[in-house]
Amino acid sequence: MLIASLYIIVCSAKNRIRSRLRRLREPRYLVGAVAAVVYFYLTIFVRMRSPGGGRSRRTRQPPPEISLAALRAAGPSLVGLGLFVMMVLGWLFPGKSGLLEFTESEVQFLFPAPVTRRSLIIHRLLRSQLGLLFAAIVPALVFPSGSPASRAKFAVSMWIILVTMRVHFTGITLARASLLLRDADGRRRQWIAPAVIAGAVAVVATTIVRAFVLHPATDVGDFLNRFGEVVMSGAPRVILWPFVALARPLFAAWPGPFLSALALAIAVLALNVVWVLRSDDALQEITAQIEAQRDVPAVRSRVAPRTLAAGWTLSLHGRPELLFMWKSAMEMVRGVNAVSLLRWGGAAVGISVSLTSALLSATHSRGSAAALGLLALAIAGFATLLGPQIARNDLREDLLHLELLKTWPVRASALIRGEMLGPAAVLTGCAWLALLCALPLSAAAFTTRSLPMRVSVALALAILAPAIIVAQLTVHNAAAIVFPGWVPLGTQRPRGLDAMGQRLILFGGVIIALWIMLAPPAVAAGLVWFAFQGLLGPAVLVPAALVGTVLVGVEVLLATEALGPMYERIDLSAVERAD
Amino acid sequence: MPIPIRVEQLRRRFGAFTAVDDLSFDVSAAEIVGLIGPNGAGKTTTLRSLAGILRPTSGQVLIDGHDIVSDPIEAKRRLAFMPDEPHLFEYLTVDEHLRLTARLYSVNDFDNRAKALLEELELTGKQRSLPGELSRGMRQKVVIACGLIRDASVLLFDEPLTGLDPIGIRRMRATIIARARAGAAVLVSSHLLHLVEEICSRVIIMDRGRKIADGTFAELAMRADLAAADSNLEQIFMHVTGHDDETPHV
Repeated sequence: MLIASLYIIVCSAKNRIRSRLRRLREPRYLVGAVAAVVYFYLTIFVRMRSPGGGRSRRTRQPPPEISLAALRAAGPSLVGLGLFVMMVLGWLFPGKSGLLEFTESEVQFLFPAPVTRRSLIIHRLLRSQLGLLFAAIVPALVFPSGSPASRAKFAVSMWIILVTMRVHFTGITLARASLLLRDADGRRRQWIAPAVIAGAVAVVATTIVRAFVLHPATDVGDFLNRFGEVVMSGAPRVILWPFVALARPLFAAWPGPFLSALALAIAVLALNVVWVLRSDDALQEITAQIEAQRDVPAVRSRVAPRTLAAGWTLSLHGRPELLFMWKSAMEMVRGVNAVSLLRWGGAAVGISVSLTSALLSATHSRGSAAALGLLALAIAGFATLLGPQIARNDLREDLLHLELLKTWPVRASALIRGEMLGPAAVLTGCAWLALLCALPLSAAAFTTRSLPMRVSVALALAILAPAIIVAQLTVHNAAAIVFPGWVPLGTQRPRGLDAMGQRLILFGGVIIALWIMLAPPAVAAGLVWFAFQGLLGPAVLVPAALVGTVLVGVEVLLATEALGPMYERIDLSAVERAD
Repeated sequence: MPIPIRVEQLRRRFGAFTAVDDLSFDVSAAEIVGLIGPNGAGKTTTLRSLAGILRPTSGQVLIDGHDIVSDPIEAKRRLAFMPDEPHLFEYLTVDEHLRLTARLYSVNDFDNRAKALLEELELTGKQRSLPGELSRGMRQKVVIACGLIRDASVLLFDEPLTGLDPIGIRRMRATIIARARAGAAVLVSSHLLHLVEEICSRVIIMDRGRKIADGTFAELAMRADLAAADSNLEQIFMHVTGHDDETPHV
């Protein structure tokens, strides 16, 4: 089986490289590859080859020596604790390990073959190595270091950590499933492991909190020094030992300390591999579950939708645009669940909190009302400026259904507008809601601004928000129509240097197109503001925003009409090839 | 009265590869025509070009007299395409797929039609199911139901029996015949030669993108070069595609 695994890996890699080289014959892929190579050259190799290598920044602004030394000493403990937290999360919030996601062809060819389950796991383990190696090498190239040896050391250490964590998460998945399989008490016994983990968490957390609550750190150096001491003594030392052992090669000096640390890390990895290979009895059960989730076409690696009554029955008559809005609403209601909310909500909260901090700092505001007001403003900004990148349930997703859409007797321009209507409505709703919350709290955040000014700004932002959202959606959908092979459709993430270059070019193109689209409305709005400012005072912002929004609306209408014939000409093979 | 399906010198290329070349044929109202050929003959490309999914590289496709390229809305309003691979929206239920189709094609009397069709295709009780909860055969039935819920004058079937159980196959056969009797022009692509022989009044055989035979079974059997085929479609097919020396070994 080992030979067969290596044969599959080598042949697949060889053929993948060959097909990617072959597609460079097409100008769009060639241009993409050139762009990616230039990007890598400028961001990595030029920096590496410049005098002082990656240390140029450090020479400009040297950090305090004590912090660096302390960081180096406390590094294994800090990274070890991070790995421990990841392991805890893996047990508490179990998912399906990527290592067990056998491809359909692997299931069809290898599962009926006379090979053991352990061989199948080893096959997947071997197959994942190329990706993990890549994931370890890229940060090593970016890593600010002068010597190639330290980059190699970093890459090897990272690789060991990544492989061990991947194997460990596989072990968690298998262990939980095998407990359920064994007997009727499995469901009860599956809580034993989380209970042990919870105990370990309690010991580590109590020790750390007690050490720092009773005697708060005076500075970063003090924190790092004491953190290392706390974690590396008593019970936490025993609990965290395997995690610290994994992290130690990252910080160990070459050659003696690094090699001995590496040997211990490899021992931890080996223990994990043995554990996983001994928990193989639940392999088929897990694979069947993953297969069942994958059985829904075009929803791979996404959560399967559930039937939920959306309270909106499609009328049998009306404009086609509304039909697409209904379709989008159904997708949103049924496709969104706790996991996706956590994923996107987490990003939204993170960015909004960062924006809020920046706004608080810029306005010198204090107090919870000011913070909440600015947070609401940040959320409105997030929905308006970044929402169209995230809410992709328009043509960017629906081009996957192009074969079906093309048979529909609907004008292409109406279809394009309809596809954008759903995400535009949701994002506008979010922005308006956030602005509605921000307005009453704005007095605390913007203390020097008068009420008419604040109301005018809020109204102007509410009028502009849908225009900015729809303008962005138009540009994104135009890109999907004009370059269907360049836009990642649905959950696709095309790989390869050329695909990465295409994304870079596309990102730049979208930004430029958006500026071009928004420039005339901005100028018109500015003229209105200039002409009537004296007459209307702060209220001039409202008509100025109205003029800008109307102009964007006209541009969107013209753009979708112009995109219609292009949509009709989209070659199905161009879309399918992007997969 | 325009001919429901008229294909004139259709050519479709994918880069340097010509999938369909110089293809011309008509399908009249109430006629069922079988489109057969070996793998890679260009059958699916032809059907996709007729349905407006693929744009012809050259040539013309007229549906009820409407050009599929220059007058796509009117042409598409009159045709129903049922592909071999069921493409459904994963977040719409069976009932919602039918309702969506009814709105797109302005179907009157939707409720009664949907009820009858769901019963006919044994989908009763699955109205609130999402595609992910259905078997492949069931999904195929949903696609067929969406095609049949309207009175299309042109029906295009690409391997219509894929994934169906024996009862479904029998009902599908009867449905196709009934639609043709009601006046629809039907083009069926299939590798199941016995199905084609049973329901089609005429057959078009394609090979390497070109039409190599076109006619009723009797006409094909009477052709001098096919006389030895003895009017059996399988033998005609083997002979026309140059495989008549291949005899099955049992």
